[in-house]
Amino acid sequence: MLGQLKFAVKYVLGRDQAGNHFTVFPDDTFLVSYPKSGNTWVRFLLANLIYPNETVGFANINRLLPAPGVLSRRFLRKLPRPRILKSHEPFDVRFRKVIYLVRDPRDVAVSEYHFDLKKRYIEPDVTLEQFVKRFIKGETSPYGSWWEHAASWIAARQGNPAFLLVRYEDLLSDPIGETGKIAEFLGIQAGPDRLEAAVQRSSADQMRKLEKQQADQWTGTKNTRKEIPFVRAAKSGGWKETLPAHSVEEIEIAWAPLLNFLGYPLQTRELDSHTIPAWVKTGQPL
Amino acid sequence: MIKHLIVGVRHGLGLHVPHRSLLILPDDIFLVSFPKSGNTWTRFLLANLRFPDQPATWANINRLIPDPTVTTKRDFDQMPRPRIIKSHECFDPRYPRVVYIVRDPRDVVVSQYHYHRKIRKIEDDSPMEKFVTRFLAGETCPHGSWGQNVSTWLTTSEGNPRFLLLRYEDLVADTARELAKVVAFLDLSAGPERIAQAVERSSADRMRQLEKRQPDKNELMKGSRKDLSFVRAAGSGGWRSDLPAPMVARIEAAWGSLMQHLGYELSSQTPAEEETGSQVSGVRSQENLTARFS
Repeated sequence: MLGQLKFAVKYVLGRDQAGNHFTVFPDDTFLVSYPKSGNTWVRFLLANLIYPNETVGFANINRLLPAPGVLSRRFLRKLPRPRILKSHEPFDVRFRKVIYLVRDPRDVAVSEYHFDLKKRYIEPDVTLEQFVKRFIKGETSPYGSWWEHAASWIAARQGNPAFLLVRYEDLLSDPIGETGKIAEFLGIQAGPDRLEAAVQRSSADQMRKLEKQQADQWTGTKNTRKEIPFVRAAKSGGWKETLPAHSVEEIEIAWAPLLNFLGYPLQTRELDSHTIPAWVKTGQPL
Repeated sequence: MIKHLIVGVRHGLGLHVPHRSLLILPDDIFLVSFPKSGNTWTRFLLANLRFPDQPATWANINRLIPDPTVTTKRDFDQMPRPRIIKSHECFDPRYPRVVYIVRDPRDVVVSQYHYHRKIRKIEDDSPMEKFVTRFLAGETCPHGSWGQNVSTWLTTSEGNPRFLLLRYEDLVADTARELAKVVAFLDLSAGPERIAQAVERSSADRMRQLEKRQPDKNELMKGSRKDLSFVRAAGSGGWRSDLPAPMVARIEAAWGSLMQHLGYELSSQTPAEEETGSQVSGVRSQENLTARFS
């Protein structure tokens, strides 16, 4: 009862955490991804692109490129429009304009494993192999499984002009080119100099440096195990060295059609022909 | 500020409607569909099955099979568990168990057109063509387009033992048989007699009678036109006579392969059909999209 009263008071004042119950405006743009798919990096890229005169860091990223989940409804309502908001939600029909960032789930699994250790979401003795079994079932995240997440967005929006699918791997291999595509999608006029500056200010080295200084000023890293960094390898294909062969196979068997659709080569050759049937991609509004 | 205060007090007392902030319990069951796909009928069926002592009516259905956009949080908290909850939402990974009803979109569009006349969203002479355009774009309701709603559920959940897909057409053709599937899926203890009673108590005729007696007892029709009824044809295939051929063709062009996947025969040769070559016919013969549930 006391909890309810506290919530009521917070609600009246608009101070309650928005979660996903905030008001979405028709001109909002959402930066959406499954967790551990490069979302924070792209938030830095965009913040540096949009606010070239700000020093973007972990301490101010929630203000510059807000995450509704950890902010109050009042703060979100008062933001200047059009807003660009970060989200990890699976398909949400209210989000009209979406940058969807996707990453090879074999790398996502490894990244999430280290992050969950850092956050103490899992015990230190949980093995990667054990973790992957739960990862495939969607039990390691409140946002569903990687498949559910990516498939729900792709089924509903792929082909829609207000939907931009970006692969984390492409962003790594050509950060300026891909950031340019995102800028164009957002209607931001940015020449090569400005794009390059944004990429440099958001480099893994720069972010590591900022993490050392500001880890306690950001919701993502506050009160976590400091010996495990948030900005870890910042590369692609790391799973080839660290993910047990059996876990690779489990992921590929579970999700081959979507891996093939997204252009992530499989190690299990006989799954190469598994594809998404045409009906999956028929959900977009015409 | 006063308005905010009232909202706050209602929250404190649990008299607010939870919407998306509904606290989902691990044993909850969701009855999900795109609007106008037989959701209300199925709610009556499940309510009559689960609560044989309280025959479902328009007045009590929101308490028996609650709706997070209508039923108050307090009523939700006081319901016997497991709760069966109505929803029109697209895929939501938080739903622990889902019964998903799908209906031929050519019938759905006709049904929604007449429903919008009833609730005064469109005029009687509003052109069907314009409505079909908005329907295809997902602009006739806040739950996405038919294709989005259905495909987000099927791509993520088909084959999952926690997901039961029912076609409205099969429910119409053999209600008791389809209801028996729900009984098995939900582990309800209900024999053939109780199923027959639920079917009887949820018949279109009975729902029409109740509607006449309780026209303002449900938010689905409160303040709506009384010359049009909520329970309309309650059948399948009406589109063949009610939907002009060019509009049938547009719907089939947009969602042809998804419709075929569900076993809805197309009346026109669609591009989708040519594009994909061998298409699966009918839900039952469909392999799971992935092996993740095996």
